[in-house]
Amino acid sequence: MAKRGDNAHGDPLRQEPEVVPPPAGYDWRWLGNGARHALSLPGLVMAMSFLGFGALVHSVHFPLAAAVFMDIFMWALPGQVVFVDVFTRGVPLLVAALAVTLTAVRLLPMVVLVLARARLPGAARWPEYLAAHFIAATLWVMSEMSMDRVPRAGRVPWIIGLGLSLMTGMALATIAGWHLTGLLPVSVAAALVFFTPAFFLLALADGARRLVDWLAIASGLVIGPLAHLVWPDGDLLIAGVVGGTFAFLLAGRQGRIRSLSGARGCARRDGEGQA
Amino acid sequence: MTTDLVQPAAGSGMPEQLYWLAIPLAGVAATYVWRFLGVLFVARLDPHGAVLRWVRAVATALVAALVARMVLFPSGLLAETALAARLAGLAAGGLFWWLAGQRLAAAVGVAVLAFLLFQIALSA
Repeated sequence: MAKRGDNAHGDPLRQEPEVVPPPAGYDWRWLGNGARHALSLPGLVMAMSFLGFGALVHSVHFPLAAAVFMDIFMWALPGQVVFVDVFTRGVPLLVAALAVTLTAVRLLPMVVLVLARARLPGAARWPEYLAAHFIAATLWVMSEMSMDRVPRAGRVPWIIGLGLSLMTGMALATIAGWHLTGLLPVSVAAALVFFTPAFFLLALADGARRLVDWLAIASGLVIGPLAHLVWPDGDLLIAGVVGGTFAFLLAGRQGRIRSLSGARGCARRDGEGQA
Repeated sequence: MTTDLVQPAAGSGMPEQLYWLAIPLAGVAATYVWRFLGVLFVARLDPHGAVLRWVRAVATALVAALVARMVLFPSGLLAETALAARLAGLAAGGLFWWLAGQRLAAAVGVAVLAFLLFQIALSA
């Protein structure tokens, strides 16, 4: 407390965080732990989706090397699918970029949510920019499920390790999907793709602890399809902003979140250690 | 070294080199810009504040909408399956999760299995 006063004459905008000791740095020993965590239910589900992506790019004669390049440097499956779709139909580059960037807006809240629980406010920022590249829907869900047991200083390295390991697996899954196309019956191949919506919905329900979570899930499910009929390219954006705001306002002061991490700290997780 | 993997873009008539211009611009940059903004924003937010609670609600609703889109308006392989099978899969998984002690992994398995069984039954 006494030290807090020392900043009083300094930069007024500077807010010292409560938990971090001054020479804060990341604990990179957690890189390997994160990398091993890719072998889990979410990682398996994600691999199913990327098998499907490999099959998709094959079916539209998109180069496999370009698809793997997108796995590594885009790392956002809906955007990759949109890119393949619009690009193989030969639309202008600017239109393709707009369509892709619209699907990528959703990454902003996910990066904010994951890093808010992971970053060390005093530490160097470049690991955050690197970790952000790996953050998408699956990694957000995984962090909600598993990041609580990682010490704060190890979280950004944990994300990077997990991301690198997932990325390697997904590149391999894309290549495998490319070569598997045509070998599987349609219903079985479609069942692989169905893992993704099933996992996302059940993981959202499993992670829901407060009224606002349930309201957000319900409003997304209802508003999403309605928005899709009006503006197919912007449906997720509309559903997210309108549905999320609706849930947030309706839940109001009902569910004051003590901390994004605290509430689910001791929640049991069955997804762990699978596969 | 990956040239042996590259197939000509037969369907599109697109020159090969164009991919390596288009993907970094329309794909990589268009995607990373939002992650970059996320890193900029998170440093200015109170980790326990109302803004972050709102952001969390937005992300949750957005992923739920993504699920609804994949099930109601699917593309690719899922588009070739029956809507009833997709809905039955989600319902079976949700019901199992609710009744059987909220076991996520098992519930996902039940959902996919139910989808597969309904799909096979409906297409037979």
